[in-house]
Amino acid sequence: MTGPYATAIIVVALVLAAWTTVLLVLNRRPGVALLVGAGVLELMLVGFLVGGVVQMVTTHHVMPRAVFVGYLLAALIIPPAGFVWGLGERSRSGTAVLAVAFLIMPIMVIRVQQVWAGGHAGRP
Amino acid sequence: MPDAPDSPAATRPRSTSHGFGRVLVAVYGLFALSATARAVVQIATKFHVAPVAYLLSAFSGVVYIVATIALARDTPRARQVAGVAITVELVGVVAVGLASQLHPSWFPDAAVWTGFGSGYGFVPLVLPVVGLWWLRHTRAPSVGGGGPTSAPS
Repeated sequence: MTGPYATAIIVVALVLAAWTTVLLVLNRRPGVALLVGAGVLELMLVGFLVGGVVQMVTTHHVMPRAVFVGYLLAALIIPPAGFVWGLGERSRSGTAVLAVAFLIMPIMVIRVQQVWAGGHAGRP
Repeated sequence: MPDAPDSPAATRPRSTSHGFGRVLVAVYGLFALSATARAVVQIATKFHVAPVAYLLSAFSGVVYIVATIALARDTPRARQVAGVAITVELVGVVAVGLASQLHPSWFPDAAVWTGFGSGYGFVPLVLPVVGLWWLRHTRAPSVGGGGPTSAPS
């Protein structure tokens, strides 16, 4: 799976997670800038899905394809879902939900890479 | 918003979906998504490999979905449902965790609860404990009951 692009997603997600954590500590609410940042992440995830599916259908590489697409789709869903639920309550807890949504992204990307590498998500 | 009961404020339970509950529901939602998606894929593509593990994945997915929705809704009924679902979750993760240690051959492939949730950083083991604590923490002060939990600040 495309290494530098996946790494870029992880970096952006971690930056957003750190940013959200700072807001959390300062007890401030997320503003438009964070929303824009999340939009950038989401666009990158769309690219990840499209690129991943294109690579998948153009290769004979053996891997659990349904799982692969499942993780790509789940990664795409989590940030918007986190925003809807998190911003549903304009409080510190709502901000914490956003932090969770961003923190989970590196795990999702690594899972995608693990599935591509042929291993399945769980332990043997 | 769900309809609130017509009970006096003093004896009304606190919301399970606000404050810390907001984060708890989000984490439950993540597990509902991952456990269910995983089970659907496993059952659809390779059910014969590890039927017990995959059915348990599906069961845990349903439990997480019920717990997520019940915690997100703020009705007395939903609180009861959440209590049952989270208790089942705790029993499930401990029972499956033990079974997977004692009889690894029953689980040729991993499920969410095998190894006490070790594939998910043991969060599945901690989550029901936190969930039950949260339900207890947010419940209505018992009438004349001398409960140790203090009023919300």
